[in-house]
Amino acid sequence: MSDRKITIEYNDGIVRQFLLACVLWGAVGMLVGVFVASQLNYWRLNFDLPWLTFGRLRPLHTNAVIFAFVGNMMFAGVYYSTQRLVKARLASDFLSQLHFWGWQLIIVAAAITLPLGFSRGKEYAELIWPINIAVAFIWVVFAVNFFWTLARRREPALYVAIWFYIGTIITVAMLYIVNHLSIPTSLLHSYPVFAGVQDALVQWWYGHNAVAFFLTTPILGIMYYFVPKAAERPVYSYRLSVIHFWSLVFVYIWAGPHHLLNTALPGWLQALGMTFSLMLWAPSWGGMLNGLLTLRGAWHKLRTDPVLKFFAAAVTFYGMATFEGPLLSIKSVNALGHYTDWIIGHVHAGALGWNGFMAAGMIYWLLPRLWNKPLHSTSLANLHFWLGTVGILLYVAAMWTSGITQGLMLNATTDNGTVLAYPNFLDTLNAIRPMMLFRVFGGTLYLVGWFLLAYNLYRTVRGAQPVNGTVEVFTADVHEEEKLGFGSMLFNPPVLFSVFGTAFACAWMFGGDLLKLGGLFGTALVILLAWVHFGSRTSRWAAWYDRLLLNALPFTLLTFLAVAAGGLIQIIPTTLVNRPDNIEGRRQLPYTPLELAGRDIFIREGCYNCHSQMIRTLVPDVLRYGDYSRLGESIYDHPFQWGSRRTGPDLARLGGKYPNIWHYRHMENPRDVSPGSNMPNYPWLITQKTDVAALPSKLAVQRLLGVPYPEYKEGELAVLVETQEKTIAADLKTAGAYVAPDREIVALIAYLQKLGKYETVAPLKTVAGRE
Amino acid sequence: MFRRLLFDNWVSLFPLVALITAGSVYATIFYRALRMKRPQIDRFSSLPFAPETAVTTDESK
Repeated sequence: MSDRKITIEYNDGIVRQFLLACVLWGAVGMLVGVFVASQLNYWRLNFDLPWLTFGRLRPLHTNAVIFAFVGNMMFAGVYYSTQRLVKARLASDFLSQLHFWGWQLIIVAAAITLPLGFSRGKEYAELIWPINIAVAFIWVVFAVNFFWTLARRREPALYVAIWFYIGTIITVAMLYIVNHLSIPTSLLHSYPVFAGVQDALVQWWYGHNAVAFFLTTPILGIMYYFVPKAAERPVYSYRLSVIHFWSLVFVYIWAGPHHLLNTALPGWLQALGMTFSLMLWAPSWGGMLNGLLTLRGAWHKLRTDPVLKFFAAAVTFYGMATFEGPLLSIKSVNALGHYTDWIIGHVHAGALGWNGFMAAGMIYWLLPRLWNKPLHSTSLANLHFWLGTVGILLYVAAMWTSGITQGLMLNATTDNGTVLAYPNFLDTLNAIRPMMLFRVFGGTLYLVGWFLLAYNLYRTVRGAQPVNGTVEVFTADVHEEEKLGFGSMLFNPPVLFSVFGTAFACAWMFGGDLLKLGGLFGTALVILLAWVHFGSRTSRWAAWYDRLLLNALPFTLLTFLAVAAGGLIQIIPTTLVNRPDNIEGRRQLPYTPLELAGRDIFIREGCYNCHSQMIRTLVPDVLRYGDYSRLGESIYDHPFQWGSRRTGPDLARLGGKYPNIWHYRHMENPRDVSPGSNMPNYPWLITQKTDVAALPSKLAVQRLLGVPYPEYKEGELAVLVETQEKTIAADLKTAGAYVAPDREIVALIAYLQKLGKYETVAPLKTVAGRE
Repeated sequence: MFRRLLFDNWVSLFPLVALITAGSVYATIFYRALRMKRPQIDRFSSLPFAPETAVTTDESK
């Protein structure tokens, strides 16, 4: 080892930038959240303006909180801790700046496009395709900067926080790219390549793991760095942190289908999602206990130190949310909680309690260190803590009460389960209005607390001089024997046994008769051989693992394999099997061109934020909305619109339920036909013209994606659209509403009247000689 | 061959396979974590505590 000593100055400027952006976007995201929550109480707050309606602003709220608030917080925490853990300055100042400004530009683009109605119609994945490409590009910039820094590190060992960051970077890239695969129809519009059940599975594989790998694993890395620093003692159990990491990486990725329980999703996927969700209890609580026990011997500091207060509460909320998540993944509990505010409460326990409090704790800890000046006011920080805590508790308690109340009312039956106790959906909505108001109150308290943080930050940094951390290190070479090449990474007993074991298990699970038998024997043989080999060559296995912990690239590749396996085993069979050609029983009738245009309006207005299109296999659902939804009934839906919350009723079988005039009046002013409704008015649908000019390219993409649209001759498409428009407009005129046929309301009515229409398909032969 | 998943009632098997898989992962990782040596653990867990100093920076550059 050389004894030359050098001083490294960390790039803390980029940390300051991301930290300030986090505070700013956090305030914006939460403010929009309080506003949309108020809209649910007072529909007039939609102001009859398209860009201020709930359906368009709610995606702005969710995207702002996830990607702008937590995203910037994550980047600040990752960049600060990584440099110190690997004793190296960030590899490239240029990439750091590109990362920062690129990310802020994406946020601004989202803040403009979402209220304007440019949306892909999938939750937390609403951003349009040019922004998707920008996100993927900037994420790659982040990854290059991060891994390049690891490559230049002067500390050979990788602390567990770095493991969590590696898991985050590769998994988010994989999830984001797969779920955003789309074919553009124009510069601002595209259709996802997946449809119906495939799209649902891919979406919630992404959606669930956005929570897991964007809102959880990076923050856990931050927890494992900042909590020991704040408590001035090492993590309680490093062993437990190792178990925590590997268990989460292996198990989290499988749990996505728990968002689709009791739906038309194949049963085996639902069972898989539920079981793996229950498995998550163990590692999550292991991690929570590890975080809390790190404070051992430092509990007395909580009385005075706001940083530790925030961290202790955040880790506690992590424990609460990760207890509640698996609970809600039990099918029978999910039957009550899904589509209700219970889920909203669960999500906010995580976002406000875990993410928000970790962010606050980290910011209060970093401020004096990044600006070399004591925090302006500890009392204000303490006040922030108590306002935030009371705010979250009010919020979550209100949503639990609301969710369980509405769930019980929606599911309540009389006459031996044959009649709904509350057949009018609005009765269940009106019952939860007080709780919805409490939510606004709780959210406002939390927001006020955040404003206090912003003020405290302003007063702290005003006139202060920014400082960068430095560290003196000895230049040292990594010992050759510690390096793990590509060959030794893959061709070693643990990896080979895992690969062959998985391959044989897949053959056993999914194969035909012979393959199945071979797979069964193969799996048993691999397990036996692995056991014997491990017994006789234990030290070889251990040496490989120890070297893996010092080698970032092999570690990353194997982590990627671990997370990819779960997704592939769920997604590949589903995308290969659940195709229109294989559908039995009911197959969706493709939309006419006008109905397709109407569907795009439905997506633009974000109707899926309040209305599902999935009647679950539950008696109350069937009694309320009609026969349960079949897998084939949304097989042409690019994107699927199964929804996740029913502020309004399900729409899966809305077609033909009401006359056209009902829909017209309902869109003009929902309270005319549904007294007590909190739905916004949509007056612009009556004045704006349907975008028929965009239909040829949209139909071409739909055709490409397998929807059976014919090639229309010149003029044929226009005639087809006009004929249907005129039929609906004439019907409306007869009923007393005068509207030009080319208006958006006509296209939307055409779409709504098509919902639930299907053709019957004869059963397919499954196995030779068996039907 | 995947089409059988649509029609066969395999649901009951998947929770069992999931249990065995997750159990195997937990057991393996638990074993590896327990086998970590004390000096190795101390070294890893002390990584966040490397001493550092602060230097004033001119961010207008």
